[in-house]
This record gives sequence, C-alpha cells and structure tokens, in this order.
Amino acid sequence: MEHINTYIGLVPLFPLIGALVLGLMHMLTCKTDKYPDKLYGIIACIGPILAFCVSLILFFKLRGMPADSRYLIHDVFTWFAVGDLHVTMGFLADPLSSLMILFVTFIGSLIHIYSAGYMAGEENFGKYFAYLNLFLGSMLILVLGSGPVVMFVGWEGVGLCSYLLISFYCKDTDNVLAGNKAFIVNRIGDLGFVLGMSFLFWAIGSGGFDYHSLRENAHHLAPSVGLIVCLLLFVGACGKSAQIPLFVWLPDAMAGPTPVSALIHAATMVTAGVYMVARFSFIYAHVPTAGTIIAWVGILTALLAAFFGMFQKDIKKILAYSTVSQLGYMFAAVGITAYSAGIFHVFTHAFFKALLFLGAGSVIYALHHQQDVWKMGGLKEKMPTTYKTMMIGALALAGCPLFSGFFSKDEILFSALATGHTGIWAIGVLVAGMTAYYTFRMIFLVFHGKPRDQKAFDHAHEPPAVMTVPLIILAIGAAFAGVLNLPSLFGGSLAVSHWLAPSLVEHHPHVSVWIEITAILASVIAFAIGITIAYKKFADGAVEPEFSGFAKWGANKFYIDELYNCVIVQPYKTTGSLISAFIEPKVTDLPIKFFTWLYKKLGASFKVFQVGYVRVYAIYMVIGLSLMSLFLSQTIN
Amino acid sequence: MIQDYLILSIILFCIGMLGVISRRNVFTVFMSIELMLNAANLAFVTFARLHESMDGHVLAMMVMAVAAAEAALVLAVIILINKHKGKLDTNIFSLLKG
Repeated sequence: MEHINTYIGLVPLFPLIGALVLGLMHMLTCKTDKYPDKLYGIIACIGPILAFCVSLILFFKLRGMPADSRYLIHDVFTWFAVGDLHVTMGFLADPLSSLMILFVTFIGSLIHIYSAGYMAGEENFGKYFAYLNLFLGSMLILVLGSGPVVMFVGWEGVGLCSYLLISFYCKDTDNVLAGNKAFIVNRIGDLGFVLGMSFLFWAIGSGGFDYHSLRENAHHLAPSVGLIVCLLLFVGACGKSAQIPLFVWLPDAMAGPTPVSALIHAATMVTAGVYMVARFSFIYAHVPTAGTIIAWVGILTALLAAFFGMFQKDIKKILAYSTVSQLGYMFAAVGITAYSAGIFHVFTHAFFKALLFLGAGSVIYALHHQQDVWKMGGLKEKMPTTYKTMMIGALALAGCPLFSGFFSKDEILFSALATGHTGIWAIGVLVAGMTAYYTFRMIFLVFHGKPRDQKAFDHAHEPPAVMTVPLIILAIGAAFAGVLNLPSLFGGSLAVSHWLAPSLVEHHPHVSVWIEITAILASVIAFAIGITIAYKKFADGAVEPEFSGFAKWGANKFYIDELYNCVIVQPYKTTGSLISAFIEPKVTDLPIKFFTWLYKKLGASFKVFQVGYVRVYAIYMVIGLSLMSLFLSQTIN
Repeated sequence: MIQDYLILSIILFCIGMLGVISRRNVFTVFMSIELMLNAANLAFVTFARLHESMDGHVLAMMVMAVAAAEAALVLAVIILINKHKGKLDTNIFSLLKG
C-alpha cells in the first residue's frame, strides 16, 4: 500500500533521465560521428511511454480509493527550511493532477513518436529530443508538485524548454528573437507568480507551504490579501497561458518546429495557467472579485484572438490564435468558478489542438515548409488521412455537436449562463461562431477547391505512418473525449466533473433544463452560422483578398506588437542607452571615481616609506614594537 | 642580581638591533640577528631561574635549535647571493621600492 506513493516520483523522472541520456549522447558525439537518428528517436519515446504507464497505474490506484481520500503524497526530501518556510520536494497525485498527467504523458508520447518522423534528417536531431524530454519532465513536475514552490520549479523548467525549442532553428535571427520574446514576456508573468507566492506565504504560509496545509488555512486569508494573491498569481498565469495583455508571445512562438507548437504551445504548457488557477481553487473560490476579473480577461482574450485568427494567412498562426482564444474560454470558466469545466476543456483541447497542429505539420511537411494557406488548396485527394483527421479536429474545435469540443465548450457557456454571467455567455457564443468560421476557413483553403500552387501540389504526398498513426489516435480522442463528461441532458453523468470534485472547491448551480437547452442551441446556431459563412466564402476557389479598413487592422493584429514596441520596448531601450551613455559614467560612477583618485593620491604619498632596503623595514619594526611596548606598559599600569 | 642579567640581555639585543639596522654587509646583519636571538635566550633563562620553572629552559633550547637551522639556511643563501651578485651588500636588493 505504502510503496505506491514512490511511483509518483517516477513519472517526471523517466523523461528527465531520457533528457539526460539524450543530451549527453548528443553533446559527446555532435562534433564527430553521430548515432543514427532512429536510436535517438527510440530512446526519446521510452521515457514518455513509461511515464504514461506509471500514470495509468496511479490513476487506477486512485480510482480504487474512496472518493474523499483520493490522494497520494510522496515527499522525497526537505528542500530547504528557513524560519517558518518549510519547502519539501514532494509530489502529490490527486484526481486533478492524475487527470493532467494522464493526458500530458499520452499526448506527449504521441508527439514524440510523430516528431521522430517529422524531424527526420534535421540537424541537431538529438538536441531536439533532449529538450522535448526535458520539457515533459518539467511539465510533470509542475503538475505533480505538492506545493507552490515545486510547481514553480516546473513552471520555470517549461518556460526554459519553450524558449529553447522556439529558438530551435537558431540560424535564423527571427526565430531567436521569437524565443527571446517568449522568454521575456514570460518573465513578467513569473514575477507576478513569485510575488503572489510570497504574499501567500506571508499571509498563511507559516502552517506549512503545501497545498494541503494551505487549503486548511485558506479561511484565515483576509479578503484584501486574498484578492492581491489571486491577481498576482493570475499575472503569472497570463504570462504562461498567453492572456491579455501578455498574449503577444504565443503567435511568434510558432517559429519553433510544428510538433513543439503542438505539445508545448497548444496542448500542455500554455494550459499550466488554467491548471494553476484550478489548483488554487480553494483561494479563488472565496474571492469572487478576482474570479470576475479573470473571467472577463479570459473572454476578451478569446474574442480578440478569434478576431485576429480570422485574418491570418500562416496556417500555424491561425492555430496559434485559436489556442489563445480557447485558453480565454478556459480562463472564463475558472473565473466563474466552473473549475471542472475549465479543466475538462483543457483536456479535450489538448486532443483536438494537438491533432490540428500535427495535421498542419503534415501539410507543411508535404508541401516542403510552405505555411501560407493562400498557396495551398485541393489537398483532399493527395492527403486523405490528414484531411479526415484534421476535419475531425476542426469539427471538435469549432464545437460541432457530439464532438469533444462541443461538450467542453458547452459546459463552459452553460456555466456562464447558469451563474448569471450573461455578458460572458453572449461573447462566448459570438466567439464560438468566429471559431467555426476561422477553423473552416483554414480547412477549406487547405484541402478544398483547386490547388493554388500547382508545383507544390504535384509533389505533395501523405507523410509516413510514424506521423499518420498518432494523427489517427488523436482523432479518435478528439472525437470521443467528450463522452467522458456527458451532461445528464445527454444521458451522461458528468464523470470528469465528479472525478475532479475532491480536488476543487466549486458548487454546481441547479438550474432548469431549459437554460441548458438554450445554451446548447445558441452554441449550435453560432457554429452553423460560422461554418456556413466559411463555406460560402472559401470552399471553392477563393482568392487572397486585399484587406482594408477594419479587416486590415485585424490582419495586423490591431498593431498591438507595434504598440508594445513603441510604448514599452523603445522607451525601455532609450532609457537603457541614456543610462549607459550619461547617468552611469557621469553620475553614479562619480563616487567610485573619487575613491579611486583618493587611493591613488594616498598611495603616492605613502610611497616614500617603501624604500626597498631590508634594514629600513627593520627600523619600522623596531619603532612599531617600541610603541606597542610603550602602550602595553601604560595600560598595564 | 636578576636585574643584571636582564640589563645584559637588553644591551645585547640593542647591539644586535643596531647591527641589523646600520650594517650593510650580509654577514654582519646575520650575526646581529643571532645576537638578538641569544639576548632573548638569556632573558628566557633568567626568567626561568626567577620563577623556578623549566619552561624558559625549554624555550631557550628550542630557540637554539631554530637558530642552528636558520644558520644553515642563511649561510647557503649568502653563498648564492655572492655567486649571483659578487657582493655581500644588502643595498643591492631593493625590489620592494615603491
């Protein structure tokens, strides 16, 4: 019974060992003879698959326990103890984290397998997999950590890996800059996280700084401090999960390899913020003000990103904005205290968004790194498997009834309506329509109509099985994952919500069936309208339009990047150069320069005593000793 | 009685000190140092008699041993100096001059 706890530590350990082995192999051999790519690929896949197996064991172990004591804790060692602050390097498996590790390791394994095909023949193949394994290990530490500090270790680890993998094609300056941008924007968020953590410790941390103690002490938290803690932690979540105003890094992060976008920037890392808010639900649930702010930030992000997504022409950027938009939904959900709905959307989103990204990767792979949707078209015949799987992913993303995305999104919108957040619900329905529109705009432009670039079309072909099999598995998940949380209206029992209930603090409002039906009907109508408009405009032979007016603003993302550049980056740079050119040499260095001058002068005046002859030093010694003796004789008497 | 010994010790020490300070020949400097050591020895032994304990004697013996070792070393150094510079003048070394 007891030994099962130690299994928890194994989950992050397997990928981390993989990262170490691959990293060493790569470092030792990159200059001379290289190991074959296949060897790297196989070693890379072992870690995630083993982690997935252990996660399954843990999940079933937890299922076998009674609902109110479903948690396993494994404290590895005391990391540090200063005053009241006792930080244990420990892992916690409870319903929430076990669900997270299940899909993180599952999708992680699939994407590792897919990567082996997608990255074949690339330079630094070993380095790529070392980073990818390191990422997975960090992500699992983030999810499994038994307290905020351990979570923060993983939080920083995934940030680092995200940076490394965005800049993976480091020979191109743009990619390096995109990596820098992601890293720096994330730092802003991380500062919020650290401050939030500090406030939390200051307020209630003395009774133990892990989730269990914090949860027990949460009622001691004063409302004002609670609000500060919630908002600061949310700043951290904003950075990691790309919400307004820190969402600008995610579209640029598409500079990395496509499987990286699928794993890190769609399925797992970017949902860490949602996970964190859900993890701290015992605080957030008591601070409705913070929840309202989060919900509005989330839904406005969803709206803004969906709007941008409608005008993009890079297939990965479309998906990136849709990720930002879906993350907005998740935050709206956790903001209105529908934590299980938010986490369930994280879960289904991981499947269909990973699927869409991997499908996009297949298209890019087939067209030799062509990413512009206006240069594609008619690929339906050439790539039937990719087409079918991506179609399922798109239907799930757009919220087509009976696909997974429909149930999870509908759960969010229904919760918004049921808790009286009508404004959020209305915007949510609008965004659902926009989602359907831009998703199918992409699908129609890529797969339907006539090929726009005949030469690339002729060379296009279905990718190898190592890439299509993960697509098919993910498509099954994207289609049917919704069944796990069927609402009672469809004869289900909200299994995921009930499973998560012990980890979360939430109340399910009891409302009439009609509100639920209203919510569903509204979503379905929005979906139908969106897909119809997309079909009319793009299904057959559309040409790239010249954007004008408002649409041009949308295509240029409201010039937000330029705005940030003007308002933040440039003044910052100017201040920096001002300081280095004027303030530092002319002002702050002055005292230092004065002291160096003083010591120089003093040294020069004392120089005369250093004559260099031994006997002169002997005289000094005699004088010194004599004075000392004199002094001693005075004091003794 | 005891005082006389101590005065002799002080005189010896001062002679040694003056020798170190004023003489330039390496040999003379070395001999002056030995003189100072022996002045100290004399003081040790005197106080040992005064307190009727063996501690001073022990220290005196140790100083002698150190002095013997030092003599062996310094004589070698002096030979080397002579070989290098051909002179035994301490003023040829002033590397520490500021």
